[in-house]
Amino acid sequence: MWTPARRTAIVGIGATEFSKDSGRTPMQLATEACLAACGDAGLDPTLVDGMSLFSMERNYEIEVARNLGIPRLRFFSMVNHGGGGGCATVGMAAMAVHTGAADYVLAYRAFNERSWHRFGGGVQTHHQSPEANDVSFSWTSPFGLLTPAQWAGMFATRYMHQHGATSEDFGRIAVVDRRHAANNPAAFFHGRPITLEEHQASRIISDPLRLLDCCQESDGGVALLITSAERAEGLDREPAWIAAAAQGVAEDQWMMRSYYRDDITGIPEMGLVAEQLWKSSGLGPADMQAAMLYDHFTPLVLPQFEEFGFCAAGEAKDFIADGNIEVGGGLPINTNGGQLGEAYIHGMNGIAEGVRQVRGTSVNQVDGAVNVLVTSGSGVPTSGLVLSSEGG
Amino acid sequence: MSDVDAALHTALQPLVGGQGPVQVATEPVGASAVSAWCAVMSEANPLFVDEAVATSGPHGGIVAPPATLNMWTMPVRIGGDSVGRDTDQPQQAAYQLLDDAGFTGVVATNSDQAYEAHLRPGDIVSARTTLVGVSPQKQTALGIGHFVTTEVAYANQHGDPVGTLTFRIFKFRPGTGRQRGDEPVDDSPRPERPRPRWNQDQAWHWEGLRQHELRIQRFTGSGRLVHPPVVADPTTHDMAYDWVVASGRGSLYSWTAPEHPKVPAFDYPLVVGLVELEEGVRVVSNIVGVRPDQLEIGMPLEVCWLDSHDDVTLHQFRPVRPDRRTDTLVRGDVSVGDRLPPCPIDVTTELVMSGALATFDHQDVHHDSDAARAKGLPDIIMNILTSSGLAARWLGDWAGDRMVFRNLRIGLGASNHPGDTMTMTGSVTDVGEGGAVTVAFVGTNSLGNHIRGSAELVLPEGPQGAEGSA
Repeated sequence: MWTPARRTAIVGIGATEFSKDSGRTPMQLATEACLAACGDAGLDPTLVDGMSLFSMERNYEIEVARNLGIPRLRFFSMVNHGGGGGCATVGMAAMAVHTGAADYVLAYRAFNERSWHRFGGGVQTHHQSPEANDVSFSWTSPFGLLTPAQWAGMFATRYMHQHGATSEDFGRIAVVDRRHAANNPAAFFHGRPITLEEHQASRIISDPLRLLDCCQESDGGVALLITSAERAEGLDREPAWIAAAAQGVAEDQWMMRSYYRDDITGIPEMGLVAEQLWKSSGLGPADMQAAMLYDHFTPLVLPQFEEFGFCAAGEAKDFIADGNIEVGGGLPINTNGGQLGEAYIHGMNGIAEGVRQVRGTSVNQVDGAVNVLVTSGSGVPTSGLVLSSEGG
Repeated sequence: MSDVDAALHTALQPLVGGQGPVQVATEPVGASAVSAWCAVMSEANPLFVDEAVATSGPHGGIVAPPATLNMWTMPVRIGGDSVGRDTDQPQQAAYQLLDDAGFTGVVATNSDQAYEAHLRPGDIVSARTTLVGVSPQKQTALGIGHFVTTEVAYANQHGDPVGTLTFRIFKFRPGTGRQRGDEPVDDSPRPERPRPRWNQDQAWHWEGLRQHELRIQRFTGSGRLVHPPVVADPTTHDMAYDWVVASGRGSLYSWTAPEHPKVPAFDYPLVVGLVELEEGVRVVSNIVGVRPDQLEIGMPLEVCWLDSHDDVTLHQFRPVRPDRRTDTLVRGDVSVGDRLPPCPIDVTTELVMSGALATFDHQDVHHDSDAARAKGLPDIIMNILTSSGLAARWLGDWAGDRMVFRNLRIGLGASNHPGDTMTMTGSVTDVGEGGAVTVAFVGTNSLGNHIRGSAELVLPEGPQGAEGSA
């Protein structure tokens, strides 16, 4: 994915509340979040002329456009592979506004993945056609490997074996996220930190994953508004500059089931994203003041530190120790509480938190946050962003 | 406690502490009985059967497997008139009182054998039994009943002590169990597992499974193996392929054990493993016959089969029975924490019945399924002497021929019924002076822990200078 460094920006963020039961439709959540993003930027929603979605979004752009009264939609796209596409929607939007394909692009995710259906409930009744994607589940579903947590468990066991990581190392991610969430009034787990002991006492979901290693399905919506440097000048907010955006699919890629690679303890598609982000932004790991790392399952957070070069392969357990990833540490992560603590909005809430960090408005503000790394789904075709308070 | 229960308790208590007359085996320790025992247990130690090897061995001749200690004095009941209880023996008197009170069901729960000398062919074993306790009424999964504990001292015909046994059985009222009878029977058909879907690009793989062949795609040009299959060789883009039939052997590369959400089509604990085949490719498969806490990355596995749907067979993998070591572990080879190789044992009707007969245990619950059901059991159950013998064999397979048992202590939990698999796992918990090694172990089946125990083994000294060599 090619994006011009620091010539496009996220200029508005909007969200609904996060809950287990929104009490309204996903379409209303999407509309509320999009209106809030436009309101945040001070933009008349009818000027939006682009929509950038990622799959599993069921509020299609035409429906949202009807609600916003958008008369002309000139750019719309849907990035495949669910949670891995979150940052890519911003990258697509950046390309669109930079090339002139659109002026203002909304990217969003809104759903009742808790109250309408349990997202993590399993695919046991899915995938019943002879098409290749459905067939790909035949290698796992008949054996009872049916949920994202179970798919992640296979990676976790091998990572533990190969790198000497423990369940407590996974738990440390959850503890930090929940500590940050506890301080965030918008977080589902506001005021509810956990201890490592509570993590260790939580029930097994798919050994070695415990309940507190897994994010909780949420109802809610998040929207982002992207535009060009020129148009950003006329809006209300300081731009969160898109220093880089990138996508990645690596060799022998599967959806959460890339079990056939020589090594399954890394996330090479994240490595591909990292390589591009660092190259096109001209920045590196040492330039990041914070990171919003996709954290649907804690074991898949550790390899992200390694793939992005914050530490060497297998050393994430040491990197995260001693408060290094908390506010005040070397690389605070998921200052909104992450998906484990704030809400599981397929990473779009992490992008919004990245925007707040470079604006300086996070409830867990990192002093001097200039550059923030944001990642999307781990274990799937994925994407990432570097956001910056410094324009081009 | 009801009046009846109180009366029973009153009648039982005077028996406790009593010691019966010495009971002498009617047959000597015999080579053919030992051979039969070894055959049933898959015991391959030549020191028990091979005169030539044993004569030059550490015991100077053939010895009986130590785990046979208490079988030589077992009362024989099949093929003759039923032998009434010898109520001169306090434990037999107690069993009779319990039978009369309706506690006719019986299972052995504990066997702690300690060995003082080896038994040899021709020895006449005698036993002196003390009734050391009858528990108050207990409710267990099997039923309401009493635990009866005895201690037996064994001697040979010269009066030399050969070993002791602390033995506990549970006498229960059939039909009073917590698990059976009082719960509504769920006779709804079990849902099927998620059905695999395929098209002509993979049909050959699924057809292979029906024939118990694990077929792996091979591109004929490059010889490259690919799993799961693709349509083109990723390096040459050649689309011509056939398959190889995998040997079915591999090792555990990774695993997860899904617990929530539970899907009715599956049994839990459920283990899904990533198996690295000998051929170099990996497959996702259930790992069966082993519980999650018994898994070890790298453990050897072999394929087995599950007919999951009318027209679908799935591969499954199970631990490979470890080979018996050909040398013997010596002092210094073993450290605390060493894990023994997991060993699956198929619990067949043949094993249960032949095990009972080979250990002279003629209780009907071990060979007569109708009698077992009448006593509140779902099917025949493995007897405790077979469980001990299998554990001893597995320990011997790990340690080697010249290891000497000091004791073997086991407690039984979930019964071994035909059709199940018991998998032995264990680890070294202590390494003491003089080559003494303690191993703690479990044998698990689909119902839980069948056997939980420990054994103290003595390893021989290594060759001179071995400990100092590089």
